[in-house]
Order: sequence, then structure tokens, then C-alpha cells
Amino acid sequence: MMQRRQLLARTFGTFGALGTLGALSALPRLSVAALPAAGARRFVFVILRGGMDGLSAAPVPGDPAFAAARGPLADFGAPALPLHGPFALNPLLPQMHAMYGQGELVLVHATGLPYRERSHFDAQQVLESGGTRPYELATGWLGRALHGRRAVALETAVPLVLRGDAAVDTWAPSVLPEPSPDLVTRLQAMYRADPALLNALGRARGLRDDPAMADDTAPGYGRGAAVALANKAAEFLQRGSQVAVLDVPGWDTHVNQALPQGALSYNLKTLDAMLAALRDGLQPGGAWRQTVVLVATEFGREVAMNGTRGTDHGSGGAAFVAGGAVNGGCVIADWPGLAPAQRFEGRDLRITTDLRALQRTLLEEHLDVPRAQLDDIVFPGSAKLPRVDLLRA
Amino acid sequence: MDTPARRLIAAHRFGLAEPTLAQVGDDAAAWLLAQIGPADPQRGDDLPDTLTALRAHADFVRQRRQAKADDKRAGELQFVAHFRELVRADTRARLLTAATTQRAFAERLALFWSNHFTVSMAKASARGFVGAFEREAVRPHVAGSFETLLRAAVKHAAMLRYLDNDQSAGPGSRVVQRRLARAGVMGAMGADRPRITGLNENLAREVLELHTLGADSGYTQADVTEFARVLTGWRTPGLAALEGGAAPPTVHFDPAWHEPGVKTVLGRRYDAGPQALDAVLHDLAQHPATAHFIATKLARHFVADEPPPAVVNRLADAYTRSAGDLPTLYRTLVTTPEAWAEKPPKLKTPEEFVVSSARLLGLGASAFARVADGGIGALGQRVQGAPSPAGWPDRAEEWLGPDAVWKRVEWATRVAARSARLIDARQLAQASLGPGLSANTIRQIERAADGPQAVALLLLAPEFQRR
Repeated sequence: MMQRRQLLARTFGTFGALGTLGALSALPRLSVAALPAAGARRFVFVILRGGMDGLSAAPVPGDPAFAAARGPLADFGAPALPLHGPFALNPLLPQMHAMYGQGELVLVHATGLPYRERSHFDAQQVLESGGTRPYELATGWLGRALHGRRAVALETAVPLVLRGDAAVDTWAPSVLPEPSPDLVTRLQAMYRADPALLNALGRARGLRDDPAMADDTAPGYGRGAAVALANKAAEFLQRGSQVAVLDVPGWDTHVNQALPQGALSYNLKTLDAMLAALRDGLQPGGAWRQTVVLVATEFGREVAMNGTRGTDHGSGGAAFVAGGAVNGGCVIADWPGLAPAQRFEGRDLRITTDLRALQRTLLEEHLDVPRAQLDDIVFPGSAKLPRVDLLRA
Repeated sequence: MDTPARRLIAAHRFGLAEPTLAQVGDDAAAWLLAQIGPADPQRGDDLPDTLTALRAHADFVRQRRQAKADDKRAGELQFVAHFRELVRADTRARLLTAATTQRAFAERLALFWSNHFTVSMAKASARGFVGAFEREAVRPHVAGSFETLLRAAVKHAAMLRYLDNDQSAGPGSRVVQRRLARAGVMGAMGADRPRITGLNENLAREVLELHTLGADSGYTQADVTEFARVLTGWRTPGLAALEGGAAPPTVHFDPAWHEPGVKTVLGRRYDAGPQALDAVLHDLAQHPATAHFIATKLARHFVADEPPPAVVNRLADAYTRSAGDLPTLYRTLVTTPEAWAEKPPKLKTPEEFVVSSARLLGLGASAFARVADGGIGALGQRVQGAPSPAGWPDRAEEWLGPDAVWKRVEWATRVAARSARLIDARQLAQASLGPGLSANTIRQIERAADGPQAVALLLLAPEFQRR
């Protein structure tokens, strides 16, 4: 049986620069023309919906129980890409592996939410709201931490994670003709008594009026569209947004997940290409050096394969922290082991790192959100969670 | 005679919009109550049934084998193309029926239940089945008991495929035991061995969480697993059966896949066999948590995004008293004063917006001629393609993103440009929305630069975006 051990534990740093809140809230909210101050930090949250199988994305071939526990799911058709210790990356994540090699990616394993049931919808609510129980909080942790930073979601609706007091932008490619500015002006007059519609329309108009934004990419489904959204996110982050949210659905792999042409393979390739697109789009002007991307899912999946060559809903899984501001090239995990006795309820990878510890640390040290706010408003009840060493000094 | 305000609410909040409130008649509640019954048969010629969809899947598998299309991208395109006509026929039937029925309240209920029991073509295994599912499992049963509707939905081939039950086998079933014997791992199932059980929990979990009890209602992981065992054996015909001359039943119980032995779900014991599923569904339908969950969803759809607890309790009581009789529930809803609040509590979904616009402008089939979905997908809601088994959300905040509102403006602009020539928006606004129109909206429509702009403003008016 493998020893539980802290891998690559780091000394506590002295980050946590505080006190720039006043300056940040003075940033204009609606003018896209306002570029972020030179060196302004960017934060991207990538939500993998459906429950990514962490042991497929980041297998642990060095765990003595791995091969037996996973059976056919331990075979990726190609050698896994080695990381430190017992850990590896799926061979379909070559760009992320390269980032790891360049010190721009951290794998966090055996991580998850305080929520332990196995409902997608409840777990996503917790992942996005930042609460400890589903529906305890009705707004999102990122929305509550914005403080005047401009934020954009690359989808039609505002995802829960960005909901809060401040209005945020949403953007998705269009197949319809643009309405005339005259009509939009009249609509704004007509929406005087309907603030929700008025606000949404105003923000949408503000985005369209910015001549520097490139034309829409062709819409569609599939990997090309997902990568196009990542490109667009990079464009927004170069043009004044400091926070972006991307959504990658389709990780609920109950059936035949190991197939090379199956959904999981497709999703992993998509994720790899999206992170590469973000990096490439943010390189100009050095924005990438100021960027952190957090990739997380609502829960991991059961360690063992189910009866239909897939996996059912589980608990612990993997998360990634990438970006030029990241002190990467390492794995952070208090590894619980994969043998049945080491699992949660005998089924799942045990959660040993609370995902909120990562989220908190990134908000505090990268976006300078004051600790008191994190404790009371952004992640209520999380004050005792340890900081995690994720960023460059 | 009812007040104009009540007729407005009947037409727009309970129905799907009428070009003139005269359609509602003198008594708004009576107009609604008279509609309670099965939904209209969908409009369309030779609409595909479940067997057609099953055979389309079998055909695709056979063609694919022959072509050996290994290239993933090509395979995907072929798959989409293979089902294109089926999907278009289903989409058009759904939308054209909603856009033209005289029984818009019954239709809204059919759409509500189709969303409650979501089967989505976003998943490949359910493509081509969604329309058949709505026509066979949902529409005939919207005015019976909830239990009948639940049984029809869960035991339909589309649901069994969508939520993977088709492939779920009992760990102790004959097929799994045979498979293990063949693989030579019998007796060598150490604790570290993969859990080759054959079980897939997907349908069991979603029935409990999304269809009946609702999340956080007290069931456990053990209940999910046990219910999954009850569900084993409920399957759809395989390739061989579909290739034969005779039409096989679209759903059957295969004892070789069924988990033997007694199962315990929510503390009740069920013997092995096909009867166990109906028994579990019966008990779920009678469960107080189900009464509360269904009452909440109905109240959210008609009364408010966050419905008042008193309304939910009244509906839940009606459910419990009538053992889940849906007409009793609808009558309670229609006689609930909170459902008639004057301020429109609900924002229309993209599908509701497009369908109600087609009704208002009398577009008929022309709305869905060029693109089968009438543009709803471009507004952020893929018809019959919800992203998850939870279906589409029923709260305004989900549909109020800046991009979402902008796309409604784009859509209205295009539709107005195409159809506005013969329409007097001022007159139409008065006839359809008269008692609800604000002075500001009337002024904006009257001052429009031209006819199409006036129609676009009418479609985009807060009074028409909300209900």
C-alpha cells in the first residue's frame, strides 16, 4: 500500500499583496476601449461540465494499485506522458505536457469540492457558487470577487460562477444579421422600465461597437468552435477584460470512454488545444506572463470501470493551473492511493485537497482579493483552508 | 365577462400568445380549463416513430461497418447527415404544432413535460428518437396521472438509450456471468480487480434526481445502485432483431440481463423480475418528495422563477390528495390567485419567443421553412438538444446574458424584415397585448421609422419578451 505523502510540498511564500482594491474598482466598466493597465493580471476559469475522469486525464501509473484498479481504462493506446513522481498526463494532452515542462502548468490531483454526493447539477452549483452545499449561495464566487474588473463569459448566457452584483459580458458567434444602431437606440428607450433587459442590451452593444474586435468566427459545434472561443477569450483579455470563463461540456463518460474515437478522447484533445490557443493568443504584449488559467470539473469519476466500459459519478479528480504567472512543472497532491481500502466509500478517489483552497489562493495572490472578503463573501466558511503554492514569486 | 388583464394572462402566460385576445373568449379560466386533455397530435406527414429511429441507428451501424470509416471527423459528419431528415421532421413537427395549435395551454404543458423528461439529441445514442419520444411517451399522457406519464417516459426506448440503460446488466445476471466465465476471471475477482459488474447507474440516478424525488430529498448512493439493479434487463432491440422482417417491440424486458435477487430502494423491498420497475415507479410517484418537486417545477413555470412556498404547498397538497392526478394539479394552478399576478413574472425562453412570435405574426409553416428550428438554435437553445438530462433552465437569469438578448434583437430584425409588409404593428400590439402595454412601449412602436422596425419593436417589447 502506498504511503500517503505530500508531494512537492513547498515553503510558504510571502505573496498576498493587498490593498489595491480602490484602484481596481475605479476601472471603467462599460468602455471596452479601456485597456487593462500594463501588467494587469488576467484570470481564466475553464469549467469542464459532466465530471472529467481525473484518472484518465492525469493517470497515476506509479500507484501500485493503478493498473489493477483501472483495468482496460489504464491503456491509452500510447505511453502516458510522465510528470513527477507517480503521475503522468494522458498522451492526448501534449501541449499541456509541454507547458508543464516549461514550468507553466501545475497538476493538482485528488482534489474536489466540499460536496460529496454525486449529482452533476448540484455539484456544478457548488463548483460555481463557491458554497459548501448546493443552493446555499445564489451567486458565483468569481462574480463576488470581481470588484469592478471587467469579465466575459464565452457563451450566450451568464454562467452562475460570474453572477453577482456586477454586470458581465457574454459573447458567442452569430449567424444572424446585425440590427441597425437606430433600432437598438429605440430599444434602449423602450427598456427604460426593464433594467434587466436594458442592461443586457447595453453591454452587448458596447462589445459590438468596439472596432478593434475581430469579426465573428464561424459558428458550429466541435473542437474548431471550442478553440475559436478560446481565441476569442484571449482577444477579450487583450482588450480590457481581466476575467474570462470558458465552458467545455460533455465529460459525462458513462459508456465506452476508452475508445480512441470516443467522447473523452475528443474532449481531451479539445482541452489541450484550447489551453494552447489561450497561451498563443496572450503571448503578444506579455499578457500570458500575467495570466492564470484554472481548469476544474464538478467531480471525478469512480476509480473502477463500470459495466459499460465507462465510469459512473465519483468524488476526487484532477484540476490544472496553467499560465505564465504559474510556478509550474510540479504536481500538488496529498495522494490517498487507489487501492479499494484507500478509496472514498470504497469507490472513489478520496478528496485530499479542497478545490476552494486553489480558488482562494489564486484570487488572493493573483487578483489581490483581500482575505477578509474571501473568508466572508467569496468562499464563506473557507478561512481555515491552507494556501497552496501556485504562483511565481 | 373577465377583465382584459386576465384574458391577456391566459393567452400569454398560460398559452403561447394569441394575435387577438378575442381568441380567449369571455372567461379566461374556462378557456384554459377546457383545454385540459392530451396534447394535439403533432402536425406533419409520416412523422417517424420509435421503430424508424431504431432502424436508422441499425442502418448507420451497418453502413459504417461496410465503409470502415475510421476517420473520426468523417464518421461524425456521416452520422449527422444520416439523421438529418429525421431530425428536421421532428423539429418542424414540434414547432409548427406549437405555432398553430388552438389549444396553446395544453401545448405549453406538453412542452413543459418534454423538458421535464428530457431526451436530447445532444447525445448521439438519442439522435432521431426525440420526436418519437415526445409523440409517444409525453403528449398522450399530459392529462393523466403522473405515474402513467412517468412509466411511459422511463420505459420508452428513447430514454433507455439516452441514459444508457440499454447497456446496463446486473452483476449477477446471466450475460455478465457468461462474460466473466469466458474471460476466465471467475474466482479471481480480487478486491483490486476492476468492478466488472455490468451495471450503469445513469438512468437510475436521473429518475430519482430529475424526474421524481429531486436532489437532496434523502435518497442515498445505495438507493441509486439498487434502483439501477431493478432497471437492468429493460432494453431496446439489437441489430439482429431490427434486421429481421417482423417489427420487434421497441422495448422489452430481457431476463438474461436482469440482476437476480431482492432489491431494496428507499427502504422497500422488490422481488426480481419485470414487475419490480412498475412497482418502484409507483412508489416514487406517490412519494411526498415527488409531490413537492413536481409542484415546485410547475409553480416555477407559471407563477415565478422563485415560486412562493404557499403556492408550492397548495400544488403539492393537490398532488398528494389526488395521488398525482395531473388535471387536478392544472385546475389548482388555474385557480391560484398568485398565478394571475399582473406583472409578467417569466421571461420567455428562446423557443417560447420564436413560437409566440410565429403565432403573433401568423407565420405558420413559413417560420420553419428555411431553417427547421426557425433560428432558435442561434438564440442559444438547440431544439430537442438540451445540454443535459436536466433539460433547459426555467429562470430568467439563465436567458439574460447580453449576447442572448442581442441575438433576440438580430432575430426580430430579420423576421420583421421578412414579414412586416402586411402587418400593422400598432393594431396588432393593441389586439394582442392591449391591456398590458405601457405608454412608453406604445409610443416607441408608434414612432418607429418604418413598418419592419415597428414589428421588431413589438416582438422585442418587454411586454412580449416576458409573460
